[in-house]
Amino acid sequence: MATNHGNPQLFASDLVALDNVSYIYPRMEKPALFDITLSIGKGEFLGLIGPTGAGKTTFCLSLSGIVPQFYGGRFFGHIAVAGLDTLDYPVSRLARHVGAVFEDPETQITATSVENEIAFALENLSVPREEILARIPRALEAARLEGTAKKHPRELSGGQKQRLAIAAALAVQPDLLVLDEPTSQLDPMGAQEVFATVRELNRTLGITVVMAGHAAEELAEYADRLALLVDGALVAVGTPDDLYAQVAYLERCHVRPPQVAQTFAHLQHAGVLVPAIPVCLLEGIAALKTTAHSYPVQAPPIPPATTAKRDTPLLSARNLTHVYGDGTVALRDISLDVHAGEYLLIVGQNGAGKSTLAKHFLRLLLPTSGVVCVDNIDTRDLTTSALARRIGYVAQNPDNQIFNATVEAEVAFALKNLAYDGAEIRRRVEESLTALGLWEQREAHPLALPKGDRARVVIAAILAMRPDAVIFDEPTTGQDYRGARAILDISKQLHAAGKTVIVITHHLYLMPDYAERVVVMGQGALLLDAPIREAYHAIDVLASTCIAPPQAVLLARALAEEHQADFPLLTPEEVAACFTVNGLNDETDYSRLLGPVSDRARKGLSQGGAACGELRRTVGDRPQQRPPDYKTKDYVTL
Amino acid sequence: MSALTLHTVERDSFFTRLDFRSKLALMAAITVVAFVWESAMLGGLLALALALTCLAAGVKFGYLRTVITLLLPFAAFMILMQGFLGADLVRARLDREILTPLFTFPASWALIGGGMMTCEGVLYALNVVFKTLTMILVLPLGIFTTDVNAMVIGMVKMRVPYNIAFIFSSTLRFFPLLFEEIQTIIEAQRLRGLAFETMGPLKRLRVYAKIAVPLILGALVKSQMLDIVLQSKAFTGSPERTYLHETRLGAADYGVIAGAGLFFIAATTAYIGWGVGRFGKW
Repeated sequence: MATNHGNPQLFASDLVALDNVSYIYPRMEKPALFDITLSIGKGEFLGLIGPTGAGKTTFCLSLSGIVPQFYGGRFFGHIAVAGLDTLDYPVSRLARHVGAVFEDPETQITATSVENEIAFALENLSVPREEILARIPRALEAARLEGTAKKHPRELSGGQKQRLAIAAALAVQPDLLVLDEPTSQLDPMGAQEVFATVRELNRTLGITVVMAGHAAEELAEYADRLALLVDGALVAVGTPDDLYAQVAYLERCHVRPPQVAQTFAHLQHAGVLVPAIPVCLLEGIAALKTTAHSYPVQAPPIPPATTAKRDTPLLSARNLTHVYGDGTVALRDISLDVHAGEYLLIVGQNGAGKSTLAKHFLRLLLPTSGVVCVDNIDTRDLTTSALARRIGYVAQNPDNQIFNATVEAEVAFALKNLAYDGAEIRRRVEESLTALGLWEQREAHPLALPKGDRARVVIAAILAMRPDAVIFDEPTTGQDYRGARAILDISKQLHAAGKTVIVITHHLYLMPDYAERVVVMGQGALLLDAPIREAYHAIDVLASTCIAPPQAVLLARALAEEHQADFPLLTPEEVAACFTVNGLNDETDYSRLLGPVSDRARKGLSQGGAACGELRRTVGDRPQQRPPDYKTKDYVTL
Repeated sequence: MSALTLHTVERDSFFTRLDFRSKLALMAAITVVAFVWESAMLGGLLALALALTCLAAGVKFGYLRTVITLLLPFAAFMILMQGFLGADLVRARLDREILTPLFTFPASWALIGGGMMTCEGVLYALNVVFKTLTMILVLPLGIFTTDVNAMVIGMVKMRVPYNIAFIFSSTLRFFPLLFEEIQTIIEAQRLRGLAFETMGPLKRLRVYAKIAVPLILGALVKSQMLDIVLQSKAFTGSPERTYLHETRLGAADYGVIAGAGLFFIAATTAYIGWGVGRFGKW
């Protein structure tokens, strides 16, 4: 995983040019994009980062002309892709130059076979059949999907589906490939496959890549340059080395830097001399080993793991096997006890059986063989609605759990089903909405709220039932760092209130502050059930189910190797705390020890710092004060 | 519900290899003949033959069972209606006054006392039921055995405008998503204490009715996403496009088209000439 950061100055000419671009969606006042000027060179890999709502998706859609041609709204400025103004050419014409890959692998595949999916855009562009036949194997080879041409897309894994979307975009031979959070729904191995494929295409075929996402560790490894969007404004542009090294700044912008960078930022704050903050893992390991030679290193005191409980489990599975109707064995002989008051994390690759297991506790599925009990009662003897009083379930996509016209009605829905009287319903609704900070929005339509708030509506509805246990199924998917932490903080409060909490996620880096115990699943089997420190350091077991531990764990392993001692650490803070520093003052030494930042990035960052502080006050007004030479076009919704 | 999702069959068979146009010819012939025939016996034989052909073509037994189960209330309603109350209609069709009684309710019974179920009324009801069943079963035979893309190409070859063919194929693709969406919403409601499993049919219907709003909202979101995806793939609906797959009528296709034509001609001729398939004749 060597660093491959290219020098932007090496890109011969610009493929994409955005000139003072602002955009306001119909019926909105606040711009989704604000005064963006940026050039993207031919053959460049640009990472687009920023918190949820920063405008990353809008930016991506604007490159293919879908914004504003499809959505309507008000657009200011110019975007030129391969010399074509995106306002002057229809989306279908721009599609010859811009390939698009979206977040959800399910909704973007429209055909019933892999080869038809790849051929679809080519057919639309009237490419001769012989040429289509020639391009399909080439696209499959480039996306490493050889041998799948005749398969139905549903036979592919999540990572393969995203690579199919890439192959379909690639077949058009675009100049620019735009990927909007393409790995957010994939397990780490699937995400790695996508990144490796995109990087390969970028390097070997010279395709320009714009990829939006929150995958900091991967973007640090693969991107040539990063652009940071905040509230629709481009606040910083720089190489990953420059930008991700600005840990405190990024955190102020609610963007998560790679854990390697976080670790070294903590070291700097502690007074450790760090010439430059590394942002990639291998550099980080090398730098950590060098630093470890200069400072005394000692593992910080580790709190003892919670001892295993012996009382009657709240949830229990005994020799549970589940076979779906099509013959897929989803669970194989699983035995697991979850005790009241535990915080359990379940991890594993896509299709490992995590959600299938959770659905057994809710009686949404029944065992093919074996027994599942809730409070010692076989779920076969219970109903799903009865179990709903005891176990709450927060699905990956909150929109699938919303079906009422107001937030208040959504929360009251379950209470009415459970036949509570009116006064009790009102009391619980108010209590639940207040606890989740949603009381002011009680009259709003739930689907009109931002995604993070929609998740909180679902949680409020579940909490109103006062369940003993809550299962969060991939709650952090599609959320930025702040949104993910906000949901997990709620889970922590529930746990503190004595509830049993089960979280299913791929985002291991988020969980050390929350989970106590980890169950690792792979191909339907239970591979490991251990305290979190043990599980996170069981790297071979995690790898066997396509999961990579957080970078902090790998840094801790490097320390352990260097010092021939046990460092069961989980977080950047813990790794940094291993280093003992004497005689350095945080304030003065931090500025002295700051790593080198290019002038361009520093300029961008200083502008960005101002934008981060001022944008909320000014952004609503600026487009109305646009200069007279702005190209303006008012669209109606098509 | 899930058994009703639209999907291609997994088995490779004579029917999966046929061109969509020849299947359309077969579907048209069977549908018209089923519509024309009034004989319960012939209609039943046609429905049975079609069901067996569906199974041979790889349509799942579970699907047929679901279709028949859903049709049972309709069949019961038709038999009761025509058996007891359809005497006038049946007399007019048969051109005779005397009908064959199957049984009569005792005259002393309130409301239904003296009511008579007639054999001819029941046969007429069965004819309607088999007609309906045949028209329903002809769809999976034609649709489930054809890849959506092959349908589009077949329709375009028949000079159906491409954008119409695409809308048709998109509708077929959208059905499974819609059924999945319904299942997801009901599952979410069960997880909020909705005792769906203990509800009677009327209460269930009320639940389904309430699902309409979130379902439509979800469908709108999905269709907007699909629209964006299609635009990014240069889709315009223009007929000026090429096709990866070519479709040509083979010997089997010509055989099926000829067979369908002959079946239609023979059935029509026999119906008009000898009354084969007329109500009360066969």
